[in-house]
Amino acid sequence: MTDMRLFPNDDDEVVRGLRSLYAAPAGDAYWNELEARIMARVADVELDWWTELDRWIRPALAAAAVLLVAAGVAMFRAHETEADIAADTMLSSPAVPVSTAIRPALQDDREARIRFLFGR
Amino acid sequence: MTAATTIELPIGMSSAADARADERALVVAAQRGSSEAFARLVRLHQRRAYAVCRAIVSTHEDAEDAVQEGFLHAYKALDRFLPDQPFGAWLYRIMANASLDLVRRRKVRDADELPETVPIPFRDPGESDELRRRLSEALTRLTDRQRSVIVLHDVEGFTHGEIGGMLGIPEGTARSDLHHARAALRRILKDVRSDL
Repeated sequence: MTDMRLFPNDDDEVVRGLRSLYAAPAGDAYWNELEARIMARVADVELDWWTELDRWIRPALAAAAVLLVAAGVAMFRAHETEADIAADTMLSSPAVPVSTAIRPALQDDREARIRFLFGR
Repeated sequence: MTAATTIELPIGMSSAADARADERALVVAAQRGSSEAFARLVRLHQRRAYAVCRAIVSTHEDAEDAVQEGFLHAYKALDRFLPDQPFGAWLYRIMANASLDLVRRRKVRDADELPETVPIPFRDPGESDELRRRLSEALTRLTDRQRSVIVLHDVEGFTHGEIGGMLGIPEGTARSDLHHARAALRRILKDVRSDL
């Protein structure tokens, strides 16, 4: 098996040297502070998100209101057009014949009365 | 992820399996909007995340910046993470990407400006050892990727596969980079060591 150590004879010394060069800072205070800095930046991201939302909420509400009004106007116009069409249809339909407009019962009474007068 | 909801967070860890389950619970809670859970994940991973970033960038300050950027990216992408996957591997890949981005930005900036100062690696106040000083110099003569691979492998103990995943290179390339980095370091340090 290949010797994977950096320096087979005195590997420890050099690796120790490398470790001390690349050593992470010791002490909890440092890490607590770093954690606080990271979390502060995370909170900024959250804040940015809300700020962005806040920035967009007014234009979004205005756009929604405009859309609502436009939809209302369109619905009103559609309703009005429907009513106009119905009225036009009624007015343009053929007139009812006079004979059918007179009640048959009334016609019969009149004939009976004439027959009665001339029959005397 | 907005308003934090009341979520039961794990309190302690007893074994590796429990730790994994606890971490999964934290991830799920963080995905549901608990910033406390995300803070716990930061606490759990920030040291290792720093080590990954530090292996890629050239200074302690850049490593700090990359860690913060990395956690921020992770937070924003948390919804897309599948909780059944290992969180650490996912997070360290994000850290490596944040570090590589920073290195690229620094290179562009340095190409635009005349360097006023040479970046000085972070050192412990007690560091005065000649070997470490020269080791530091020798490391600057390696390529960025060779340096990252050797530190991630020999100092941080990541496998070739993990390193490949983090740096976006095939495992075989990570392996050969490590071989070349070691050879270069041996060559550079050969004279130094005979002087000591």
